[in-house]
Amino acid sequence: MTPTDTATALPHRQTLPAEERHATELAFLAAYDDGPRPPGWLLTPRSVITFVCGSAGEPLKLAKPHETLPRELVVAPKFVGERALVERCVVTLAGERGLLLVGEPGTAKSMLSELLAAAVCGTSALTVQGTAGTTEDALRYGWNYALLLAQGPTPQALVDSPVLAAMRSGRVARVEEITRCLPEVQDALVSILSDRRMSVPELSGTDDAQVAAASGFTVIATANLRDRGVSEMSAALKRRFNFETVHPIADVDAETALVKRQAVAAVERAGAAFDVDDAVLDVLVTVFRDLRAGRSAEGWDVERPGTVMSTAEAVQVAVSLGVATAYLPAGDPLDLVPGHLLGVVRKDDPTDHARLLGYWDGPVRRRAEDGSATWRRLWDLRENLR
Amino acid sequence: MTLAQDPRAALDALADSVVPYLLGVRHHSPALAAAVPALLDAAGAEVVCVELPADFQPWLTHLGAPGTLAPVALAGAVEGGRLGFYPFADFSPELAAVRWARERGVEVVCCDLPMADARWHTEGDVRAEAVGPPASASFAQALTAAGTGRAGDDLWDRSVEVLAPGCTPESLRRAALSVGWALRQDSESSGGVPAVDLAREAHMRETIALAAAGGRRVAAVVGAFHAPALAEGAALREREPERADGAGVRGTPATGSGLPAEPSLVVTSLVPYAFDLLDSRSGYPAGIRDPRWQQAVFSAAGDPDLLYDAAARAITGVCRELRAAGHTAGTGEARETLRVAGDLARLRGLPAPGRGEMLEALTSVMGQGEPLGRGRALARALEVVLVGTERGRVAPGTPRSGLGPSVEAELAALRLPGPDDPARRELRLDPLRSVLDNRREILLRRLDVCGVGYGEPVEVAGTGDAAALTTRWRAAWVPSVPVRLDLAGVRGVTAALAAEGTLRETFRRESAEGAPTCALVLTGLRDAARCDLPDLVAQRLAEAAEVLPASATLPEILTGLDLLEALRRGHLPGTTPGTRRAAGVLAADLLESAVGSLPGLAGSDDPEEVAALVALAARAGEHRLGLRMDEALSGLAHTGSPLVQGAALACRVLLDLDGADTLGARAAGWIDAATGPDARHALARRLAGLLTGAAPLLQSASTALDPLLDRVDSLADQAFLERLPALRGGFDTLSPAGRDRLLHTVTERLGDRLDLALAASPELLALWAAADEAGRTAVEALWPTPRTADLPAPTTAGVRPVPAPDPSGAAEPADAVPRIPPTDRWRLLLGSQSDKLPAGARRYAHALDELYGTGRGEGSSDPGRDGGRGGGQDASFPTAREWAEELQALFGAEVREEVLARAADQGRGDVLAELDPAAVRPSVDLLTSVLSLAGGMPEQQLARLRPLVRRLVDELAKELATRVRPALTGLATPRPTRRPGGRIDLPRTLRANLAHARRGADGSTLVVPERPVFSTRSRKEADWRLILVVDVSGSMEASVVWSALTAAVLGGVPTLSTHFLAFSTDVIDLTDRVDDPLSLLLEVRVGGGTHIAAGLAHARSLVTVPSRTLVVVVSDFEEGYPLGGLLGEVRTLAGSGVHLMGCAALDDTGTPRYSVPVARQLVAAGMPVAALSPLALARWVGERLRGESR
Repeated sequence: MTPTDTATALPHRQTLPAEERHATELAFLAAYDDGPRPPGWLLTPRSVITFVCGSAGEPLKLAKPHETLPRELVVAPKFVGERALVERCVVTLAGERGLLLVGEPGTAKSMLSELLAAAVCGTSALTVQGTAGTTEDALRYGWNYALLLAQGPTPQALVDSPVLAAMRSGRVARVEEITRCLPEVQDALVSILSDRRMSVPELSGTDDAQVAAASGFTVIATANLRDRGVSEMSAALKRRFNFETVHPIADVDAETALVKRQAVAAVERAGAAFDVDDAVLDVLVTVFRDLRAGRSAEGWDVERPGTVMSTAEAVQVAVSLGVATAYLPAGDPLDLVPGHLLGVVRKDDPTDHARLLGYWDGPVRRRAEDGSATWRRLWDLRENLR
Repeated sequence: MTLAQDPRAALDALADSVVPYLLGVRHHSPALAAAVPALLDAAGAEVVCVELPADFQPWLTHLGAPGTLAPVALAGAVEGGRLGFYPFADFSPELAAVRWARERGVEVVCCDLPMADARWHTEGDVRAEAVGPPASASFAQALTAAGTGRAGDDLWDRSVEVLAPGCTPESLRRAALSVGWALRQDSESSGGVPAVDLAREAHMRETIALAAAGGRRVAAVVGAFHAPALAEGAALREREPERADGAGVRGTPATGSGLPAEPSLVVTSLVPYAFDLLDSRSGYPAGIRDPRWQQAVFSAAGDPDLLYDAAARAITGVCRELRAAGHTAGTGEARETLRVAGDLARLRGLPAPGRGEMLEALTSVMGQGEPLGRGRALARALEVVLVGTERGRVAPGTPRSGLGPSVEAELAALRLPGPDDPARRELRLDPLRSVLDNRREILLRRLDVCGVGYGEPVEVAGTGDAAALTTRWRAAWVPSVPVRLDLAGVRGVTAALAAEGTLRETFRRESAEGAPTCALVLTGLRDAARCDLPDLVAQRLAEAAEVLPASATLPEILTGLDLLEALRRGHLPGTTPGTRRAAGVLAADLLESAVGSLPGLAGSDDPEEVAALVALAARAGEHRLGLRMDEALSGLAHTGSPLVQGAALACRVLLDLDGADTLGARAAGWIDAATGPDARHALARRLAGLLTGAAPLLQSASTALDPLLDRVDSLADQAFLERLPALRGGFDTLSPAGRDRLLHTVTERLGDRLDLALAASPELLALWAAADEAGRTAVEALWPTPRTADLPAPTTAGVRPVPAPDPSGAAEPADAVPRIPPTDRWRLLLGSQSDKLPAGARRYAHALDELYGTGRGEGSSDPGRDGGRGGGQDASFPTAREWAEELQALFGAEVREEVLARAADQGRGDVLAELDPAAVRPSVDLLTSVLSLAGGMPEQQLARLRPLVRRLVDELAKELATRVRPALTGLATPRPTRRPGGRIDLPRTLRANLAHARRGADGSTLVVPERPVFSTRSRKEADWRLILVVDVSGSMEASVVWSALTAAVLGGVPTLSTHFLAFSTDVIDLTDRVDDPLSLLLEVRVGGGTHIAAGLAHARSLVTVPSRTLVVVVSDFEEGYPLGGLLGEVRTLAGSGVHLMGCAALDDTGTPRYSVPVARQLVAAGMPVAALSPLALARWVGERLRGESR
């Protein structure tokens, strides 16, 4: 999330995988803590936690100097959230058990899984993206059909899935949005997670008929709570995962800071300076938090819209505001907020619009009445919401 | 402590203190409790001072007695209200100290301030200070940061308890003292230590000094927070607080006199206690989380291996409970849980997993990320395994104390029946006038809540619409009362405490299934207020603020508003200025959320709900009118049921969102459009809705009335008469007085009638009459038109003489000139002043009066009114047949049928016999009316009704089937595709790639399949199962009918087996009658409460192959039971892969009437909710069957 090793960033790629972005930190932590590690792990469990949660601003010192690594390094925090949650995740993975991260969309589940995979096994690339079109091949194996038809079933014609690749090398496989896959596709994971081997019936009779998982192999899956009912996981599969619920960022200041940081970075990538007032960002984050929680900061009841109101969406709006002020300067960016909010909220359910109006009637109006100039301006902009 | 001390030095000073030897504790601490005997032994204490008010000194021997089985509690009440409550379990260090002292024969002294001391003030819970972390805690923060960083971490738990296993008692003592020191430092640096604590510590120091007289070694077992203030030399450093005279004298328990100085003021007691009450979540003060687990930690006495065993036992226990609840939780999971707990502890550097690690592991492995459903089952299992229900016992021979004596004294003081005067008495109380009555009322309420069976409330009827403010009771001291008092005594030692405890307990138990229901919160709030328990009122109000806006249905919101109003005005005893204010604020919030639930009213056909809508709109408008209300009303005005449309439109005009002319124009439009039976019915309902809201508007706003007047005026007779029953039905909403006023306005505006109220002298009137007479004679001489004899005093109306309408009802349709004068038309459609109608028109009025009467409400009981039932002098019809014939004669067959159906709807069963089964127009409305009547009919009448119902059902089902069947046909077949996915289609692949065949070196042919072809997945058509779960509670009639019809149609589809479950609070499986909608419908009885969860639970038992099962719930979703159960069922079903659909309404228009908040939560739980027409439902079913989308 925060690019810490900008030196290694290559200019022509939009994003870097975690293991490249934080290569220095990972190498440093591997050298820093040489305690016992679970089989197949590059770092000790404690270092993995430090990598994800940061070293609380304290510099860590290497015991003996290393030619390529700095002598001491402050590990930046990458995941804003409970440390205990990360601890549980690490313990789960250390037991080679499947880890399922669930939560509202936009709570950095995917980022956490990427960081964990990078820290544990050095790569976050063994990833299956779950969609309604994901087939069993993506979780088990596919065939190079040209070879298959030409030579018949041979190990050369076999195309490993990321999961099979992880099994062979004892690494962490990631399955994103697992609940978007069809249930019968998901269930391919059941035998993998319980037997820890995959059979290839087409190759029966040869040594390759069974692929056993090397130690260190495990699976991190993510699932959105909002996708419930799309393709519910079977009970058998659920039993093979430890569940961790990732909550939205609890602290308003931390969230505002995060939104600002990411919006600034994105706007600068777009080649402009970020010139949106902090008060506007405060308002934006407050509205998002209120609508997400169903309760305003003051404790007033708010009707939650059916749309996702994640931090990521708040960043998107902040970026739009930033780009708009940079390239199309036209007055106060605050004036654009209601329109953007309407765009975020009104997606598929028309009653969400009514809920946004209700929010304006409630908290926005009350805050305006309490004399806040920013909120009064927003209240005055109510006609933009129609 | 002016200078910042080095923590280490400060801690050393504390730990090394000899006079007294300090043992800083938390009041429930298994680790310390286990270490206390060893520590006291090591200190060689000769006197033990414990932090208890001096009043409890006499109880200490009983507390420590071998026969006393923990948990028990000491309670003290000072006259004037202050309460002290001190529960003890085996894992309470104080109890451990008392027991140790008893065994060693060492004296124990209560060293805290006596309860009656003025310095206690009245604030706060006396025990909170050692546990609660201060606001900006630097030291505490540092200590916490050293822990896990988990939100809500307990400082004491992290710094003392989890580190304890394997430590020496001494290091444990130091850890505890350090936590206390840190908390105290923080508290001093942020606002200072509360005065009450300083006063208590001063008293403790004095007591300890007295106890130490003669060089005896004193050990002080006190809250860790207080320890720094009691250390040697602490008194010198501490600024001595001003101290009340005589406090020191009273605090002389060291003499062992055993009695507090002023026993009359303080009532103390020792009562048994229970683990479930000890758990802090029970809402009792001074508790601890998970007592049974703490007990296990205490038993392990700091041995890490034993603690591992305890954790393993607890985890296994949770698994067993989960399995008992029907969830999977095998040994594998238990093993994994224990591993995670152990590894977490190791990662955090702990000797053994603590409570926190165990719960984290359990949630992680067993919870499966579902806060509802499985998560709830887990919470229940945890409660059973970790909390427990063990009850304590006081040793035999302990003096009687607690609730019984306290209540008896109170009864005697209030001169109510008691042990000395047990006879039954009837009381009439006026609590708002008399103070004594108020106290009696409160006591009776409290005892009632405790279930003591002492007093019994007697229903009191209020005068008029107002609620009764006096109460009546029947009270007697029957022999069972003292027994039940003893039982209730566990929950508190006074009636107030016991009532509060019982209410909390009941509330907690009943809401254990999930979040508390709105009904539960409202009852709880009312009870708490009646029992005069301000704290509980405040708490329930806070809960109400959580629960009500999120899930209350409209009726609940209205009940809630009433209750809150009563609270705000202080009609109920248990309010404070704060709660009264809070009630006002919550009422405003509730109003706002009511606006949010308005769309759920769209399909309502209940006049009361519509009246509520209007009332709500008016209140919301007074409060402030929002964008949301505007949007909701405009939505209702466009898409609601006719009744709601009318009302919403009226509301919009009342709130000045629309002009009155819009209203008039639309109303006129309705009249124009009312050409068919359906439109006429809609007209009646729309007018009814409109008039519920805007009756006065018609009188005052001319723009609203003009189009209506114009329309009624300009209709041809025939057209008017056709619409007359509908119009009359619509205006039936008005009260008789309202109608008179409207008629007055109308006649005034039409200006066509001599106003007899004119203040003219009789002489003048006589002159006018004579002139009229002369004029008429002259006119008649010119145009000798035959005219009816008794037209009312003709003025301008006389210019257009009216012939009596043709009895056949077929008055010249071509005649565009209105023949019935406008005023008479209004008389007809308002149903008033029928004696002023011409005789012909009066027949119409008479026929319609049979159905509508003269209305209800204001003015209906006025004896002097004209036009009573039956239209003045005319008698009502002797039989339904005659009436039906008259209707036929006046209005024709079509309208006659409408009127009769309407009569059936209003409960007149006899008219049904007049309907001709062969000729009747099948409509669901009629069918619902017939069915609602069928419930109360004897079999003989029912037999006559059957042909009618059969034809209605057959016709409707046939009509539905022709529309629905096409939606169900057509099945997907596998198709070839280039997208890799399904099985490879080898023949096609070969054919497609023949061009790429080449010959190998060895002469074999090699086909290089550059373009592989696959086949899509096809779903086999197999036995699908459709389960219709239909709500038959009260307001769902039309949907019930449609459900039954749909079930019958779908039951005819070969691949589908259709089940029909009707539920209210019970579930009836009517599957065997699905084929025959007639018997199905006659079997269903509408009425009763709503328990959707029960219906779903039964549906779940019918599921065999979840992925091929469709469950459709038809309900208004106003669940009368805890919502948690319903959400859990839905999650379970959704989780198993069943296709779910919630129908907020199942009828032709698809206009829903449902609880919006509940539906929203159901959607989140995995059940889409929509208002569907049977056709849309069939389409959905067809889509599922064909597997088009998942």
